[in-house]
Amino acid sequence: MSAPSTPFLLDFFPQEDAKFTRVAPFFTHLREGRLTTTKCPADGSVHWPPRVSCPTCHRDQLTWIDLPKEGRIYAFSALYLGLPLGMEKEAGAVVGLVELGDTGLRIFSRIVGKKYEELKIGDPVRLDPFPLPDGRVFYRFMSKV
Amino acid sequence: MRKVALVAGGMATWGIRPATWSDLVQEAGTALFSSVPNLEAKDVDSLFVGAAQPERLAFQSHVAPMAAELLGIRPTRFIRRVELACASGQSAIHDAYAAIAAGLSDVAVVLGVEKMNLPSMAEATTSMANVLDRAWDGVHGGTAPPFFAMVAQRHMQEYGTTPEQMAAVSMKNHRFANTNPTAQFYSKTFTLEKLLGSPFVSPPLRLGDCSSMTDGSAAVLLVGEELARKYTDTPAWIAATSQYSDFHNLANMPSLTHWVGLEKAAQDLYRRGRTSPSNVQVAEVHDCFTISEIIEYEELGFCAKGKGGAFAADGQGDLGGKVVVNPRGGLLGCGHPLGATGVGQAVEVLHQFQSKVPEKRLVSGAREALTHNLSGSANAHTLTLYRREN
Ligand SMILES: [Zn+2]
Repeated sequence: MSAPSTPFLLDFFPQEDAKFTRVAPFFTHLREGRLTTTKCPADGSVHWPPRVSCPTCHRDQLTWIDLPKEGRIYAFSALYLGLPLGMEKEAGAVVGLVELGDTGLRIFSRIVGKKYEELKIGDPVRLDPFPLPDGRVFYRFMSKV
Repeated sequence: MRKVALVAGGMATWGIRPATWSDLVQEAGTALFSSVPNLEAKDVDSLFVGAAQPERLAFQSHVAPMAAELLGIRPTRFIRRVELACASGQSAIHDAYAAIAAGLSDVAVVLGVEKMNLPSMAEATTSMANVLDRAWDGVHGGTAPPFFAMVAQRHMQEYGTTPEQMAAVSMKNHRFANTNPTAQFYSKTFTLEKLLGSPFVSPPLRLGDCSSMTDGSAAVLLVGEELARKYTDTPAWIAATSQYSDFHNLANMPSLTHWVGLEKAAQDLYRRGRTSPSNVQVAEVHDCFTISEIIEYEELGFCAKGKGGAFAADGQGDLGGKVVVNPRGGLLGCGHPLGATGVGQAVEVLHQFQSKVPEKRLVSGAREALTHNLSGSANAHTLTLYRREN
């Protein structure tokens, strides 16, 4: 796990703990190496990102579930021009939609470990939680190729 | 409901402008008021301002009263700013339409404006990242180019769409922009080789596939049926509107390549307007990227699903084709000042109906036209159908 040079487009101030957000467990779990989200026990729907109220039935008694830590690249690209603040020095950064196991869930993430031209649709990736210089933790995926 | 007419429109010059947000508002005001001698600011009862991100890009909120002051308008009915990212301008037109149709407003100005070019390009592209779900998608570097690049990658894989077909869209729209003095790329000519050899922004999308960061503004005048002939002999009547939004976070997008939200919004528009795609002669659509226009051909029903690339390459969206798409020059040729784009499209439709555009882009005898904006990562679609006859 190597820290990126800058904290890119996160909140300007850390707001991941329970003092600021009701989805703080997501970040607590991430520190333990787990990728989690919320599920509604009433109708079985799995949400992304984690919610505090089910968008299907609007009940607010949700449970946390673990998502697969491995997936495959569904689509991807790279940022060569027009990089946003905090990423100006990371031209070539790869991003993509990662299909998580057989959940059907495709989440958008930074993908590291390989250059754009070394990757193809369907390539396997694994969860790579990483620390930030200010003490926060965030997630990305690492190429398994 | 009362019928609503678009009766006048004015355009500022779009591009990298030595002008502030306030300057741009005033330029659109001069363009509109000078085009309708019968219009006085005191006759305007409502002002709707389409502006996507003045808070970040111009460090200014509460912009509608500021624009009213700059235009000398003192609204007595509606004064507000409308925000729907790239569809802010067209959404503002919808709000004016609703107010007039309901009989709550008689004479409304809709102004669209965006100041995007700052000394720091990264500052502006950051504002594009927070159009997405910033905390979960934008945070990874998710801005418009990589998103639409993934769309293009999948469309190429699923339907065999090619870079040459995408470049055909860019060639057409840049050629049309050469007829439009207000367009960002009015005096710039492009060749296929130049477009296909331009640097990658987010592969497979090259610079030639992308619309630009643009400063610009536009304004239109909407009035109730009984006032239309006071301002013009040839109004553009709003025949129907539709919007649809079915997701925001990218994980919840039904399909990258089949924009079901646009397909539904288009079907709603045609049903409400009692028409079909084959009757549409002019379409001002949201070509933020070349691949967007290709998918829009498909979802708007101009061609079969997956055939948008061939439709572009065959010139079916050009003069002499099935429907003339983006005769103004599109976002690719005019630039894309977010809040102004939808208003600029409406001006083009009116000027097409009034035969006020140069012959090289005139769709002669056009009686039915539509405008389309997507916003964000195609999370929402905004459509308006216009007719020349009431
Ligand atoms: Zn539920």
